[in-house]
Amino acid sequence: MTEPRGSTRFIVILVLLGLVMMVLVGRLAFLHLGGDQNKATAAKTKPFKQTLTVPRGRILDGSPSAGILALNVGVKDIWADPSLLIASNRVGTTLTCLVPLIPIDMADVLPRLNKTNSQFAMISRYVSAEKADAIEKLKLPGVHSSDSSIRSYPQNEMLCHVLGFANNEGVGSSGLELAMEKLLKGSPGLIESRLDGKRREMVERRTQEIPSKSGADVVLTIDQQLQYMLEKSVDAAMERNRSKAAFAIMERVRTGEILAMVSRPGFDPNQFRKATDPQKLNRAIGYVYEPGSTFKVSVIAAALNDGIVTPETIFNTENGRWLYQKKILRDYHGYSQLSVADVLKKSSNIGAAKIAIMLGNVRMDKYLRSFGIGGKLGLDLPGEEGGILMPVQKWAAISSSRIAIGQGVAVTGLQMLGVLCAIANDGALMKPYLVKEVIADDGTVLLRRQPQVISHPIRPETAALMRRLLARVCEEGGTGFKARVNGFSVGGKTGTAQKPISGHYSETDYMASFVGFIPADHPEIGMIIVFDEPQPLHTGGAVSAPVFGEVAEQAVRYLGLTPTESLVPLSKTIQTVGPGETF
Amino acid sequence: MMAKKNRKKGQTKFPVPIPLVALLVVLVGFALVYVCLQSRTETLGREIRGLEASQSRLRDQLVREQCEWAKMQSPSSLELALKSHGLVMTWPGRDQIVRVRYDGSLDTLHGYETRPSARVARNNRIVMND
Repeated sequence: MTEPRGSTRFIVILVLLGLVMMVLVGRLAFLHLGGDQNKATAAKTKPFKQTLTVPRGRILDGSPSAGILALNVGVKDIWADPSLLIASNRVGTTLTCLVPLIPIDMADVLPRLNKTNSQFAMISRYVSAEKADAIEKLKLPGVHSSDSSIRSYPQNEMLCHVLGFANNEGVGSSGLELAMEKLLKGSPGLIESRLDGKRREMVERRTQEIPSKSGADVVLTIDQQLQYMLEKSVDAAMERNRSKAAFAIMERVRTGEILAMVSRPGFDPNQFRKATDPQKLNRAIGYVYEPGSTFKVSVIAAALNDGIVTPETIFNTENGRWLYQKKILRDYHGYSQLSVADVLKKSSNIGAAKIAIMLGNVRMDKYLRSFGIGGKLGLDLPGEEGGILMPVQKWAAISSSRIAIGQGVAVTGLQMLGVLCAIANDGALMKPYLVKEVIADDGTVLLRRQPQVISHPIRPETAALMRRLLARVCEEGGTGFKARVNGFSVGGKTGTAQKPISGHYSETDYMASFVGFIPADHPEIGMIIVFDEPQPLHTGGAVSAPVFGEVAEQAVRYLGLTPTESLVPLSKTIQTVGPGETF
Repeated sequence: MMAKKNRKKGQTKFPVPIPLVALLVVLVGFALVYVCLQSRTETLGREIRGLEASQSRLRDQLVREQCEWAKMQSPSSLELALKSHGLVMTWPGRDQIVRVRYDGSLDTLHGYETRPSARVARNNRIVMND
């Protein structure tokens, strides 16, 4: 008998292959269809599309440490399944467990938790990760958490008006958050995939994945150390002088970079919903006021630039009372006559008015507009006002004499500082800016600002002369004496403006201001300090000038400026009151 | 001597369907590759999901730490910290500041090595309070 060995082997191989095939088919069936138990879940797989949210870009300060001023922080939303809680009769117990951990508005949450048909009820939004972890550890049935993010401002109230705020949907709503929205928000990504029966993403089934692009970081010109110095001094002075409001700006005169900007009252951008409209107003750029005597600087600079007067030109200041166009103009202190240099130092209204009349309406208007008065300077922050300067054709007979002393004209703090900074910067008016650069997530520089000249209202020689005249204002006998800084010469001008109320000037409410620069001979920084309705002291020299001195003293040390020799006092070269040309 | 019987001579040969076997082998091969790839992608998918979750968690943690650090570094926090430790910091007086100016040329550095101060600086120091 022959042994069919070949066929046996073949059958064995076939059986083995068949077994392997069966195993494989079984595995395939399991993977694709699952057992009876998994059939339902397998059938539940469905397409899934997820938009990947991106963190909004950060806002950083311009100091070497690049301090973070705004960033997005991951938080959790705590929610519950009311149907489950009601079925297990655990509504009360659950809330009792949660109350010590998170603030819960019972009146708001209870009705939502008592909806039997609902499977979702928000309990608390924006809960910190630590608290959410603590809740998860409690393992409360029917209580869940989901990821969310919130805009956080680590410095709280500091720089609130500049930063503004982003709303709960992550959209910039004011300040730089609004102005830089396009660059800060980034672009969201997208995932197209499938979910399994347990609603988990089947990563191996991803068909599309577009990575998200984080928002860019915005680096400011603001230095948080200088900002803090300014805020602290302004706050203290506000309290000391019982002032209604205040604002202040510090600017680098050569470039137009804003180093600090304060507006009071302020608000905490972390709790922007609680802020009132007056608190949200950035007074440094969005509040127009009559500048008073600080405005004399622009008129005197114009007259000197046109050669109409010299610092030695003597004016009859009428012993402090002058009738012009049937209207009386008064000086705070009466003088019989003053030189142009002393008109500025003593802040004579009559002297300034006479200089303006000599200058003429058209030329005065041209100079003022060239100094940036009557129009926006173009700061990269929303809410900037342009001030009020009527067209020259509409000026009345006394307009120039009143505009010269800062009445009948309205400016913002930024504009007034611009005038002084132009003088400090050899006559070049710089465009102020707050955003130094914008850097993308991958380090690419998307935007880098360069200093930009707006205009040249006066010649460099006139500017140098004006700096010497303004330095005299802060010397002994000048109205800005309290702004002086040890080791440095300071140039500046005080202003005490009566507030126009119901068509006439108030006798009790004033705007006290000081605007100046330091060092006077080689200016580096310019600063304006304004207080609204300070009491009982109300003059710029008594209220604002000391704040300038206090902040400038710290700022020059922080910026490492070398103390300079004082300028040669003009009083030694100019005969203040004496024979000369009179007007 | 009788010749050895050739056993294979009487055997009937089973016709092996070679194409069928080849097809089976190929199918099994494909199936094996499919299963391997399937389990591998599943593993990778799980890994990706885990890493994505981990990345998100770490990013959140980093941001929280950055936020805390920014708060701690803020001038107001530093001032409070100084106060709580009873430290008073003041700016140095003008007479306490030595300003060293470098004019940009290396000439000012010539002769430095021979100065007594340079020799002292080279001496080994006895560290006592480190």
